[in-house]
Amino acid sequence: MIEAALPGAEVEVVDETGAGDHLRATVSAPQFGGLSRIDQHRLVKAAVKERFDDGQIHALSIKTEVSG
Amino acid sequence: MADPQLKKKVEELIAENPVLLLMKGTPEMPRCGFSMRVVQVLEAMDVEYGAIDVLPALQPLREVTAEVADWQTFPQLYVNGELVGGADIVEEMFESGELAEALGVEQPAVTTTQQAPPSPPLQIE
Repeated sequence: MIEAALPGAEVEVVDETGAGDHLRATVSAPQFGGLSRIDQHRLVKAAVKERFDDGQIHALSIKTEVSG
Repeated sequence: MADPQLKKKVEELIAENPVLLLMKGTPEMPRCGFSMRVVQVLEAMDVEYGAIDVLPALQPLREVTAEVADWQTFPQLYVNGELVGGADIVEEMFESGELAEALGVEQPAVTTTQQAPPSPPLQIE
């Protein structure tokens, strides 16, 4: 889902509780270049917004890096 | 849509406090692990900051911050009127030294001290 929103991104998601609703995502994307961290996180959150809205995810910890 | 009066109040608080933390609970008694982590970072930085407990008006404040900063989860740390981030970003920037730079302070030698007494909480209403 994140990869679809940010083409070329490398995404690693860890399920922290085993229940699938508390996730930790490490996202490395070329689109992050020049953006503040908060804007990088906004992009990731926007990409997964649907899953929050439908309740499949409750918590997402994000770490972003610029790639490319 | 956010309550216009509450939105105005939040905008004033952001403008008046160079360092402002919107958190769950108070610095003395955080009610959420993420909020506690940001408090610990701010205490380690030894900066003065305003803290607001969002729990009494959680949903209305989410609506306000969605409009003000395009961000709906707490904690939220504002520095000089700009949203810096939540716990993940604040910790990352703390470790990299970017937060000290943004706050205009020296990077502390020790990363998790709790010497300074917490700032008194601000009342939102």
